[in-house]
Amino acid sequence: MTPTAGAEAELPEEGIPEAATRRLTSGAWTSGLSVTDFASCLDMGMQPLGYVQGYAVMQWSWFMATGGMGGFGLGGTWNAPTRHGQYVEQWRCPHGFVSAEHRMYGMNYELTWLEQSWATGWGLAMQRMIDEASELEATGVIGIIDEMRPLAGGGTVEFRASGTAVRVADAPRPQPPFTTYLSGQRLAKLFEAGFAPVSVAATMASVRMLGYCITHYQLAGAAGGSWYGASAGGASGVGPVDQVNRAEAAARRLARERIRTQLGADVLHGATLEQFHREIGEGDLSIQCTLKGSRVRQFKAFDPLPEPRPVVRLSDPVGGIAP
Amino acid sequence: MTDAPDGTGRSQVPGPAAGDEGAVARQAPLPEGLPPDANRRLAELEDRPGHKGMFTSDLSVNEFLLIKEVGFHPLGFVMGSSIYHLGIQTRRWSQSQELTKLTGAMYEARQLAMDRMDAEATELGADGVVGVRLDVNYYEWGSDTAEFIAVGTAVKSEDGRSYRNRQGKPFTSDLSGQDFWVLMQTGHVPLGLVMGTCVYHIAHRGVGQTLRNAGRNVELPNFTQALYEARELAMTRMQDEANELDASGIVGVRLEEKTHMWGDHTIEFLSLGTAVADAATAGHTIPQPQTIISLDG
Repeated sequence: MTPTAGAEAELPEEGIPEAATRRLTSGAWTSGLSVTDFASCLDMGMQPLGYVQGYAVMQWSWFMATGGMGGFGLGGTWNAPTRHGQYVEQWRCPHGFVSAEHRMYGMNYELTWLEQSWATGWGLAMQRMIDEASELEATGVIGIIDEMRPLAGGGTVEFRASGTAVRVADAPRPQPPFTTYLSGQRLAKLFEAGFAPVSVAATMASVRMLGYCITHYQLAGAAGGSWYGASAGGASGVGPVDQVNRAEAAARRLARERIRTQLGADVLHGATLEQFHREIGEGDLSIQCTLKGSRVRQFKAFDPLPEPRPVVRLSDPVGGIAP
Repeated sequence: MTDAPDGTGRSQVPGPAAGDEGAVARQAPLPEGLPPDANRRLAELEDRPGHKGMFTSDLSVNEFLLIKEVGFHPLGFVMGSSIYHLGIQTRRWSQSQELTKLTGAMYEARQLAMDRMDAEATELGADGVVGVRLDVNYYEWGSDTAEFIAVGTAVKSEDGRSYRNRQGKPFTSDLSGQDFWVLMQTGHVPLGLVMGTCVYHIAHRGVGQTLRNAGRNVELPNFTQALYEARELAMTRMQDEANELDASGIVGVRLEEKTHMWGDHTIEFLSLGTAVADAATAGHTIPQPQTIISLDG
């Protein structure tokens, strides 16, 4: 694979890149596990096979070129975004003044194209990592780390997924291999509790909030002139603060609903929910809510753990013996 | 380092290309042995007639306790350093490519620092070096110049068994005292800190490509492919080093990325880990962890 910028789509449609094949056929196994997680892995009968990884670079735009955002029509009427998904909410301007220049609405709507891009990028990176694990004939991938980071050039982000492929001797090999964010003692405790990992599950929900009203903004000059300051004046029945809360709640609800569809009859373990705002302009927010965790399945009844031994730490936990 | 990652190991990394414009050049070769100041410092650590030695280390008290428990004794804090001038290498605006001269420079500079740290440990008669840290520092007085430093604590086995690797050198490892103890419990021994690096230039997008994708959220396969290639090269080289040590595996692999002073589109991918070998005897068992409950507030 000779990378050049001029060529298009040189990544293989299926399977793993040639560079990865070269590495995976090398002799020694590699592992991204810490030593303590490595020890737990051996203790559970798992043999590390290799550090596996997958990447996808996506163009990442907050604006859609083809009418995704909607816009203002004659008489100040709002044309709703064509791809607003499941959630749209509008507020009327309290001042009753309508014109093409006067943005009379507060509006929240779902950014479906951003959600689809996230799902595509995350899915590609994860699938490429799983393909590497399959190449190694792994039973599963443990200790998965996934992240999304901006890349050079602006407007591009890279989705990354990496983990350690393991094989369990004499165990059936699921196809595709199981995946989990867990490793080490946390994974050992999961097995002890009677659950086995199935796959990682993740989703992202995004809501755009357009929360300004020009009349309101001008009237609230004494309140500091900022849209947040204006909203704090309470001149409007529905201000941006309430609108932000509703947008955040909608993003969380959408994320929860979607991840349920990935679980079937299984359970989401170790779920993490992250939410962040990006201020695109004054009164213009994009909210992203990411929910992810390990999908696990019960395979036996819970065995009570041994009674814990009480300990008192005699030293600072940082760098100490006690956990 | 050659273009193709065909088993490149430390010995195959090319040094500065003499006469090459922009090549990395080591200006004043250091003496073969250790610097006089290092010899003086290390001599103070050693036991000899009429002089009682002592050890130095950057281990915490708990790490010291665990190192002793597993049958090793710290000998001294050892270090190696190399101040290196990083040359320039032309890169094409629209082509993703490895910058082999910079790759070679980053690799050789770290290797020089590691070799000098190894030399200090060998001088002390060590079996290994634990808690190795590799750092890169930049100073205002030297543009395109960086100091590569390797530091760690030299240790020696108390039962007289040699833990040196197949190259006859003390093992090196970035494991903490706690991790070292756990690793030994699994029946594995460290062989060496292994690394692979790749400095890669990621192509800029052309106007046509940018316009074609304007307003669309799509995968950029050229970027994906370039970054994939760069990381795989770094990791393959790390594995080649482990193979040279006859390792059975590498634990604690880290993949670090830095642009250093080269701008957004030129990135160094550095892969690091500790190569280990399975030395467990038949019937070796790993101690079962105990469940505890902390009574601390």
